[in-house]
Order: sequence, then structure tokens, then C-alpha cells
Amino acid sequence: MNQISVIQTQAIKKTFPGVVALSGIDFTLHTGEIHCIVGENGAGKSTFIKILSGFLRPDSGEIVIGGHTFHHLTPHLSQEQGIQVIYQESLLVPQMSVVENIFVGRELTGKFGFIDRKRALSETRKIIDSLGIDLDPQAMIESLEVADRQFVKIIKALAMNPRVLIMDEPTAMFNAQDTDVVLKLVEDISKRGISVIFISHRLEEVARVGDRVSVFKDGKTVASHENPNRDIDLAMITREMVGRSVDAFYKKVKTSPGETILEVKGLKLEKNSPEVNFSLRRGEILGIAGLVGSGRTEIVEALFGAGKKVQGKIIIKGQEVTINRPADAIRSGIGFITEERQKTGLALGLSVAKNMTVAGLNKFKGFFITPSDETHSAGRYVDDLAIKTPSLQQEVRFLSGGNQQKVVIARWLFRESEILIFDEPTIGIDVNAKAEIYRLMSELAENGAALIMISSEMPELIAMSDRVLVIKHGQVTTELSGKDITEEKIITYAFGVTDDEQTA
Amino acid sequence: MLSIIFGALNPRFLSMRNLLAIFQQIAVLGIATMAMALTLISGGIDLSIGSMIGLSTVIMCKLIMGGTAVPVAILAGIVVPIGCGFLNGVIVAKSKCVPLIVTLGMGYVYYGFALVISGGLFMTMQGQFRTLGRGSIAGIPIPMYVVILMVIGTHVLLKYTKFGRRLVALGGNETVAFLSGIGVDRLKIITYTLGGAIVALASLVLVSRLGNVLANVGEGYELRALAAAIIGGVTFEGGRGNIPGVFLGVGLLGIVQNGLNILQVSSYFQTLALGVIIVAAVVVSNIEKMRQ
Repeated sequence: MNQISVIQTQAIKKTFPGVVALSGIDFTLHTGEIHCIVGENGAGKSTFIKILSGFLRPDSGEIVIGGHTFHHLTPHLSQEQGIQVIYQESLLVPQMSVVENIFVGRELTGKFGFIDRKRALSETRKIIDSLGIDLDPQAMIESLEVADRQFVKIIKALAMNPRVLIMDEPTAMFNAQDTDVVLKLVEDISKRGISVIFISHRLEEVARVGDRVSVFKDGKTVASHENPNRDIDLAMITREMVGRSVDAFYKKVKTSPGETILEVKGLKLEKNSPEVNFSLRRGEILGIAGLVGSGRTEIVEALFGAGKKVQGKIIIKGQEVTINRPADAIRSGIGFITEERQKTGLALGLSVAKNMTVAGLNKFKGFFITPSDETHSAGRYVDDLAIKTPSLQQEVRFLSGGNQQKVVIARWLFRESEILIFDEPTIGIDVNAKAEIYRLMSELAENGAALIMISSEMPELIAMSDRVLVIKHGQVTTELSGKDITEEKIITYAFGVTDDEQTA
Repeated sequence: MLSIIFGALNPRFLSMRNLLAIFQQIAVLGIATMAMALTLISGGIDLSIGSMIGLSTVIMCKLIMGGTAVPVAILAGIVVPIGCGFLNGVIVAKSKCVPLIVTLGMGYVYYGFALVISGGLFMTMQGQFRTLGRGSIAGIPIPMYVVILMVIGTHVLLKYTKFGRRLVALGGNETVAFLSGIGVDRLKIITYTLGGAIVALASLVLVSRLGNVLANVGEGYELRALAAAIIGGVTFEGGRGNIPGVFLGVGLLGIVQNGLNILQVSSYFQTLALGVIIVAAVVVSNIEKMRQ
């Protein structure tokens, strides 16, 4: 084919401490095409985008943009080369109007250095009209609907006259109708000769707008298909997203589960959200799958008393309990290992011992904490969990990710919690420590604890879970168990590829 | 080192009498700094400390001048700052506003009350209740005992009690504290109230030593207490700092002030020096953090 490429990358590699994020991305973007990137969570899409936008520096590899070769970009350089990125999170100033947001940081000025509102307004109008959308340029961002805010982000990017527009899940929080508008917009933009990189979890969208579809997996480009007739085989794409080289993975020792320890009945987070029901037995690991943003974390937060809920019965060991605050949940024997270990899991400036005992201080009798008591009880877990730390007094921020995670787990073991919720337990942890965490989880289950594990990593979810709940839009779409726990099935239910029920 | 410099510049500095005088001078600040350190370590701050001292001392004098029995007046002087601390705590905990602003504003409220009650005039204890501030036991001034007891008490509370541990955890990471089952709001209220109680003690020592006061008698204590705490290793982010270190911070400020006094540096320059010390302490403590 005789197309001109705007961006071409070769063998882009990027590692973070303990994690290989990209292990060689070869990617070509042609002029005026819509190039979709699909892949599971953690496949390396976001890292790749951050490298193109100059926020991350690759360890090796080359980026060729319009004939110039770069080893890395900076945000400034990237913009200079005409690359604009529309991120998922809103980077708009809510207290400012549409126009002000579009020109923030590069305000158009008149003769005396004052802001030229008229010109800014007319330029904004021009773009709005050219897109054929209905938007008041003088409306405040905070008064706009989500969809309109998305348009503002697009307009802002277009106002920079980009050559390349990168859109990271632009339709993630839209309903069908708004999605349609955005997709039409994307097609329109590409017809103006702007090349678009379009990242989406919704495969139907990808099939509909993509001129080309690349599949990312474990930090590599595994396939790149042309899609001239908009009829790409989604089953094939799904397979490519999934099919991984089989690597030795720790497996949970399957035991016959014991009595039911937790029942959640009719849990509703908001008035209009779907009811969530599930139960959990001793010796069991219940996996929770779903896309990032599907509401997995919100459900367990509500269970733990740390998040919103409007109704729902929680029955622990046959008795209904009221959980309004984490303190209630902890008293009922629940422990929560949060996803953001460094933000919500640990007080980084405090010692290993203090972090371990913080949820179980009441185990010390009376008003005082005797240092020798504390050393004794915390020390036991350092040995049991093989936590590598020079001393109990070491501040946890100096520990590696894996050891930090063990400290959090130790906190709940010290508290003698029997129901443990793990939210992305191995995120940011190197391979060896991961195996240790898996072994630990398996042992806990064997010893009669009941575990809930949220994970975006399919292999660990499949290897560790006795049952898996798949969540989509806050709803349990299915429960898989035994041989039914396969990556294809999870993805099918989580992405809704074969979704024939109504969406949003 | 500072002591040696000041000692070299003026031999009077190192005399026993002067060292006792330093202790005498820093007693009130030392006590007040314990209140500041507690709120800082819990992740908050109380900038109304100085005004609370003013309000408490003015009320005691006013009652005594009005013929109220001394014990009753003292009791009022204790209850009022405790109430102020409680109020600060409730507002900070329930409104989730920045404690810096809340307590700064409340400081004006308390100072305003002190002005209204005193009418801006000198208030006197009429020679009553002098022992706490001026007496001495075994040749050592009583305020010295008080401050040392307070330092030890605060140290033990923070380091060896469940309450202290929760307070440190709260300052270390509020979300973690909450997710660990700590009643965050309640703990904040208790911390500020306890701060108020400590300030009450500082007020008693101060009014007892001075005998008469103006509404602005406590002015500047909050900033000096803040400086002492930061010099002593407490951080704005909370969760960090130990009381012996804080007490060294208090001592350092006392030595600087006393040294400047003896060298007859004008009080205007002393204010300037204090400002520089505060900013320098904060900047230095932040540089260490940025390195990490």
C-alpha cells in the first residue's frame, strides 16, 4: 500500500520497577486514518499513549513522526509535532466557560496584551459549527453534561490544529445516543485529514469506525488488521486479546468450601442502580471481574462501609449486620486490602509496626501499648509472611511493593479478619512477590478465611478464583464457576461483545 | 552551639540565673507548643492558641476583679479554652474545611471576645494566684516543673497509648485511619479539645506570672509554637515528629530570644528574626521531603 505514515514506532520498550509495561510496540499510523487500539487492562495502551504524548520516556525504541526520528518525546515536543491527546479524565477547568477552557494557557490577545474575547469566541464558534454540534461557547463547564464536556475536550484539541488526535476511551461514560454523536465526530475529523488513534473497550465501536485495528497484549502489538468494509471479525479480535503464551502461574489449592460466611442481598449503591447479590463461603476465593470503571470497587467499598449504598442486607455468619462505617465492617470480621496501596492502604511515613497494628489496636488491653507487646505481635507476621524489612521501625515507604502489600495483609491478619477483600492485590508488584501473594491468599483460604478478589489480570483471576462474578455497569452480568471460568467468557460478559440486552 | 555564640558575645548568657530565666520564659511557650504539636501530628493545626490564651486570662482577671472567688475564676479559665478547642474540633471535623483557615478565623473570634470582655483595658488578678507562675520548689521555678511534666505526659500519650497511636495514624494518612476503623471525626474533636486543655494550663501559668494582662497577651504564641514544633521535626503533613524533639525546638527559640535580649537587640528586630526562623524551618523541613 502506498500510504504516508504520520507516526511510526519501532520496538518501543518501557519497564517500570518490577513490571514490563511495553515489550516492543511496532505501530504505524497513516495519514487520515482512524487507527483503533484494543487490549485488556494492562496491555500497555495507556503507557503507549503516554509515550506518544511525551509524558513517559521509553527505555528503548524509535518514534518517527513526519520523517523525524525521536528516541523520546516531551509534552512540548509532542504538541509541536501536532499530537493532541484527549484523556479520559477531564482536564477542564469547571469554573470557566467553554471558550476560556479552549484557549486556556494560550489566550488570544489584542493590541495591549488584553484577552481578545471576540476573536476567541468566533474561533470557537467556527469549530463548533464545523462539527455540527449544538453547544453554547459561553456556558460554564460545570453546567454541562458529560457528553458536552467531552465535546469541549475535542474542540480544545482541534483548536490546536493537530495532525494526530489520540482519544483514550472517548465514549466510556456515554449512552448509546451520545456515543453515536461522538463516533460520527471522529469520522468527520478523520475526513479532514487528521489521523486519529482511537482507544476503546467497546469492540462494536471499533468495528464501526476503525480503518485499522491493532491488538495490544502484554505490552506488544500482536495483530493489526485493516477494516475497509467495517466488518472485522470481533470474535477473532477477542481471541487475540486473550490468547497468551501459557506461563507457569500459581494456582489456588482447590479445597471444598466450608459454610457460608457472607451473604449480600439486594445491595444497591444508588437509587437507580441494579441490585447486587452474592454469597461467600469459607475456604473460597470469589473473583470479581469487570472493566475498570465497571463498579467493581464501588460494590466492595459499600460492603466495607466506605462507600455509598442505599439499601441491602449483609448477613455474616447467619446474622444480619449493619455496616455504615469501616469500623462496623471490621468488627464483623471484614478486612479490605485496597487497590491504591500507597494512597489508601498505607501511611507511608509510619513504621511497619504502626501500619500493621492500626486496625487492631483494641487487641492491646487497656489504655497503653507496651512496645514489647507490639514488637512481639507485629514481629510474628514479619516472620510468617516473610516481609523483608530491616526492622519493625522502618518506614513502609522504603519497602518494595510486594512487601508493602504484605504489611497491609498482615494488618488484617493481626486483626483476625476472616473475610478479606483484595482489590487488585498484585498491581505494581514484581513477578516473584506476586507468586508469594498468591500462595499467601491460597493458604488463607485453606485455613478457613473467605476471600474476595477484584482483579483486571485475567490469568490471576482464573487461576485463583473458585467462582467469578462478572460486573458490567454496576451489575452482576454472570457468575462463572469451575471450568466455565475462562478468559473468553469473562471478556464476553465484561465487554458485552455479545450483548443483546439493552445498554444504559 | 548557639549558646556558645551567645555566651561568647555576653558572658551573662551562660550564668545559672540566666539559664533558669530562659526556662522561665519558655515555660508558657513550651506548654502551648505541646497543644500545637498534637494538632499538627494529627494532621491539623490550631492557630487560635494565642487568642485562647488571651480569652482565658482576660476572663480570669475579669471574674476576680468582679469579686468572684479565685477557684471559680480559675475553673472558668480552664473550661473556656477547652470549650474553644472543642468548638475548633467540631468545625474542623464536621465541615471538612482546612483547619488552617478554620482556626485562624476562630482565633479572631476568641480574640474579639477577649477584647469585648476587657474593653481593651489592662486586666489584673489583684495579686491573687501567684504561686503557679512565680513560686519555686527546691530553688527551681514551678513553671519549669509544669512544662517538664507536660512534655513527658505528651510524649507518653503519643508514643505509648492507643489514643496517641490513632492520632499519629490519622495524621499519617486519614484514609488509612478511616479504613482501619478509626472514628476520624471523633478523634479530631478529642485532639483539638485536648489541645484546648493544654492551652488552659499555659494560660494559668502565664496569668499567674504576669499578674495583669491585655487581651492580646497571647499574641504570637501560635506562630512561635508552630516554629518550635517544625524545628523539632513535626511536619505540616502530620504523622511525624516526636515530643522530645519538639521540646528542643522550644529550647532553641528560647535561647535565641534570650540571647537577643541580652545583646539588647530591639524587639522589632526580634520579630523579624522570628519570622525568618519560622520560614527557614518550614523550608528546610520541606527540602528534606522534596529530596525523597
